[in-house]
Amino acid sequence: MGPMVEQTRVYYQEELEQLEASALGGLDLVTDALERTVEAVEQQDVELAQQVIADDDRIDGRYLEVHQSLIALLATQSPVATDLRLISALLHVLKNVERMGDQCVNVCKLIPLTGNEPPADAEMLGRIVTMGGQARTLISQSKRAFQERNVGLARDLVRQDDVVDDLNRECFGRALEIGDDADKREWAMTMLLAARAIERIGDNAVDIGEQVAFIVTGLFKEFEDASHPDG
Amino acid sequence: MATERDRAQSGRATREAAASRAAIAVRPEEFHSGSGKREKVFEMKGVRVDYSGVAAVKDISMDIHRNDVTALIGPSGCGKSTLLRCLNRMNDLIPAAEVHGQLLYHGEDLYGPDVDPVQARKLIGMVFQKPNPFPKSIFDNVAFGPRILGRKADLDATVEEALRSAALWEEVKDRLEDNAFGLSGGQQQRLCIARCIAVQPDTILMDEPCSALDPISTGKIEDLMIELKEQFSIVIVTHNMQQAARVSDRTAFLMVELDADEQSRWGRLVEYDETEKIFTNPSDRRTEDYVSGKVG
Repeated sequence: MGPMVEQTRVYYQEELEQLEASALGGLDLVTDALERTVEAVEQQDVELAQQVIADDDRIDGRYLEVHQSLIALLATQSPVATDLRLISALLHVLKNVERMGDQCVNVCKLIPLTGNEPPADAEMLGRIVTMGGQARTLISQSKRAFQERNVGLARDLVRQDDVVDDLNRECFGRALEIGDDADKREWAMTMLLAARAIERIGDNAVDIGEQVAFIVTGLFKEFEDASHPDG
Repeated sequence: MATERDRAQSGRATREAAASRAAIAVRPEEFHSGSGKREKVFEMKGVRVDYSGVAAVKDISMDIHRNDVTALIGPSGCGKSTLLRCLNRMNDLIPAAEVHGQLLYHGEDLYGPDVDPVQARKLIGMVFQKPNPFPKSIFDNVAFGPRILGRKADLDATVEEALRSAALWEEVKDRLEDNAFGLSGGQQQRLCIARCIAVQPDTILMDEPCSALDPISTGKIEDLMIELKEQFSIVIVTHNMQQAARVSDRTAFLMVELDADEQSRWGRLVEYDETEKIFTNPSDRRTEDYVSGKVG
């Protein structure tokens, strides 16, 4: 651009950058919650689970705060083009962050239901712990893809999420063959719900990836259509 | 409260009105068709305007479609008003101005030797930044054009229709003989639009029509533009990007270009597209920076 061009609306740009950082910072809060959730499952730690549930208020608080600021920015600054797409994407990401936090809470609420006995089946537990680790990878990758506006990295989330989906199916299979012991069966059924919750966290990370592609390309398209998987 | 049947009837009435309007102005192919098929009001190819031999705008190639509101936006000095004034030969009134390149109006060369600029301006009306009513009564302002053109039959009806079209009739119908200067700024601007409509143009050019108006009057003029495009094609120059976003179907972004040694500058067309595209996902980085206010 010519020499007469000067940068304007500096404060608005700074505020938008800060709001992006806050929204994406929500993903760090979720990562932390997920780590502790998996640990609580592994250790059958009811107290830790209760802490995760209590701390979800921080994630919800982040959601409300950044959401409010984004709405104010929309109202006062009339953002357009990339800025508008970024704000729209951040509103989605906030919702994803909040949902992922809720899924951690869902898992943590299950833990007291399985009693004070240690986990009943090492194989199934192992798969859930692996799922948790993979979901963490998805969360951090979605954050990096967003920060870098990297569509390739965002698309790769689908492949990473397939790993989570496969593990989830394996958990189901394992639960079917867990045997006749009533306590063991109850534990396995409860853990299926936990696996399902973690699987949904992976889906939320993929959704964030779709928002990255929207910011960059201006077109919204699901990476994979769950209702028409072959179409 | 309206009953279900009232609502159904009013819905039907609206649809019938729309259908009859469509029947009056036959334009079958233009709805939702690609821009390539739309009827063109103006076709510009390589248009350049010089003032005293120095280019103010150059390399302008764009088509303006019938029944669209087309917005020209860009920073001060980018030549958007100059370009607008080409479209009804207003630049003819500036002795040092010369228009080069091809400018077709409904397929005919607007600058051809047989074209009478006064006739052209009858078909291509103009509304200016500052409302400029004549120091006459409201009625005489609107009747001015038709009287000059000798269209004196049914003058009352012509004036009423023009004032209705300009959404001013209800506010002035009981004081048509009052001086136009007694109207508010927004009313004066709508009066100027009525005056323009009264000579039955095909296109209305608007040069910053709301920049001297308050937000309420601006809102009325913007609503009016959306109504008027049913009958007319509208080209508007505006500094207010949100206004362009609100009212226009297509937006052209012009910017100032400097030559290598920064001695001369001229306006050029950077991007011209559907308004929604320009404001959600423009193709050119410079458009993006301008519409999002990152550069001034």
